[in-house]
Amino acid sequence: MSPSPRIPMASPAARQGPGPMPHALLDALAIAVTQRVAGALPGDRRAAGVGAGTELAQIRPYAFGDDVRRIDAAATARSGEPHVRLEVPERTLTTWLAIDVSASMAFGTARRLKWDVAEGVALALGRLALRHAGRVGLMTFGAGEPTLRPPRGSKAGLVALRRALSTGTAVDGAHDPHALADALGRVGRVARLPGLVVVISDFRDQRDWARPLGALRARHAVLAVEVHDPREASVPAVGRIAVVDPETGRRVEVDTSRPRVRARFEALERERRDALASELRRLRVDHASLSTDEDWLLQLGRRLR
Amino acid sequence: MSVATPLALSFGAPLGLLALLAIPLALLGLYAARRRRTAYAVRFPAAGTLALAAGVVSPWRRLLPAALALAAIAALALALAKPQRTIAVPVEGASVVLVTDHSGSMSATDVEPDRLSAAETAAETFLDKLPKQTRVGVVAYSDGPDGTLPPTTDRDRVRGTIEAQTAAGATATGEALQVAIDTLAPGGDKSKAKASAIILLSDGKTTTGRDPVGVARIAKRLGIPIYTVALGTEDATIPNPVSPLSPPIAVPPDPETLKQIAQVSGGRAFTSDDAGELRGIYSSLGSKLATKHEQREITPGFAGAGLVLLIVAGLLSLPRLGRLP
Repeated sequence: MSPSPRIPMASPAARQGPGPMPHALLDALAIAVTQRVAGALPGDRRAAGVGAGTELAQIRPYAFGDDVRRIDAAATARSGEPHVRLEVPERTLTTWLAIDVSASMAFGTARRLKWDVAEGVALALGRLALRHAGRVGLMTFGAGEPTLRPPRGSKAGLVALRRALSTGTAVDGAHDPHALADALGRVGRVARLPGLVVVISDFRDQRDWARPLGALRARHAVLAVEVHDPREASVPAVGRIAVVDPETGRRVEVDTSRPRVRARFEALERERRDALASELRRLRVDHASLSTDEDWLLQLGRRLR
Repeated sequence: MSVATPLALSFGAPLGLLALLAIPLALLGLYAARRRRTAYAVRFPAAGTLALAAGVVSPWRRLLPAALALAAIAALALALAKPQRTIAVPVEGASVVLVTDHSGSMSATDVEPDRLSAAETAAETFLDKLPKQTRVGVVAYSDGPDGTLPPTTDRDRVRGTIEAQTAAGATATGEALQVAIDTLAPGGDKSKAKASAIILLSDGKTTTGRDPVGVARIAKRLGIPIYTVALGTEDATIPNPVSPLSPPIAVPPDPETLKQIAQVSGGRAFTSDDAGELRGIYSSLGSKLATKHEQREITPGFAGAGLVLLIVAGLLSLPRLGRLP
């Protein structure tokens, strides 16, 4: 696919912000996330090769070029020959946040926009990921060519995350059904070390993302956060309405007072979300479904508990 | 009644046709309304699913109300221009006298099957083309007018008189025309000869009696046009009635005299040497004589059609769209 031009981005007009994030809830979430990624404590994660750490890998005779500071006194005394002590290197957890910034995220009819929820999830999980010297890499997609921000730790990581989120979503009129698949593919190529990958999207009108997501799942712990709005599940009977798809620009005029249309719409949307859930289940990817009309942090914590 | 009706459409107030400009304006309005609706549409990410749920509306069903409304506008605009149709209506009290020669020369076979039969068939066609209320008279003549039928609407009697002719005798065209004029205008009364005409069919020179051109002048004075048909070919002959061994007699038609008769009386002259052509002449005379063209205003039809189209367009679009197209 030819690289699509960068789409201008803007903070959505009806932006509410992610809302309060109580520390107690965040701490509870931290435990859940930690369990998900099989313990992100220092030394928990193995890396290829040897390096500085606390866990013994092996003790072997000194060879020319070895760091003399690594010479193990006890082993050398026992054997009469200089030995060096090698340890399992410690790697901190790298978390990748793949965030959907397409125009369809700038929609919400309840307490906040889908984008607000996505922003909150990204902030909460980002802050958790930055604990214990973790690093956060960012991948925003849905606004032309996906943007990759390499993993950073500590304050720099938080600043990068906040800056990425502050650019908002793509303006209306850009649609790329392969944005999610491309972004996941790029994350898979860049993220060499095993880590946590969080995909935050509405998974709407996206195609062929199952394969790259499955490839990610083979190496990383993957969490898919689906954001949706109650209006996307059912439409009220408000007579004839003209709606326009923010991404494709497709204009539809529908008589919502017809029960058959509403029922069919609900059935189709339910079918779509069921298909998404079963696909994620098949890939053994954790699936958190967050609605804009509830407390997303509570929902996320409950789902991950 | 099988009178040819020309479907000419004319307008009493052609300026009203300017109202047709409303059609492009209406199209423009429809387009603008569509643009406006798009501009004020609600952003909705699930629009695709909603469209799927609503189902596909076939293009003709989507465009039909608009097309009907435009047609209604067109019909109403045309109604504004007072459309008129030209139709042929039978003339009240019209009479036609067929003056048919059945002299001996009519037995010549230069016209299929012979002159007299062709004339009879052509007369039949003529009767078919005439409006029913037109009265038809017959004057059959040879040595003198022998079979005379005053103008009547009883077609069977007319046919009977025409078919009763047999080819024999001389040609007394002047006398026959005088009889025809007398039946149309008894006592030279011009008012009784209103909307009358004489069709003279002859195949040869006037051989006996009065000068037919003089009689034509009388017809002119009474306002009776004489349409003449000269039948036959130049080199036609009939067997000599005296003896089969004698040389045959030449019986060429006399188109010059007949032309003169038509010119003097204000009619038209035709010549024919073919049965089909003869029928054509009689047929056109049948639809021309005894009918006149009248312009009838048909505004109510157009207005009604416009109203009906408008109502249908509304019925089609209101329940589904909640508005006129």
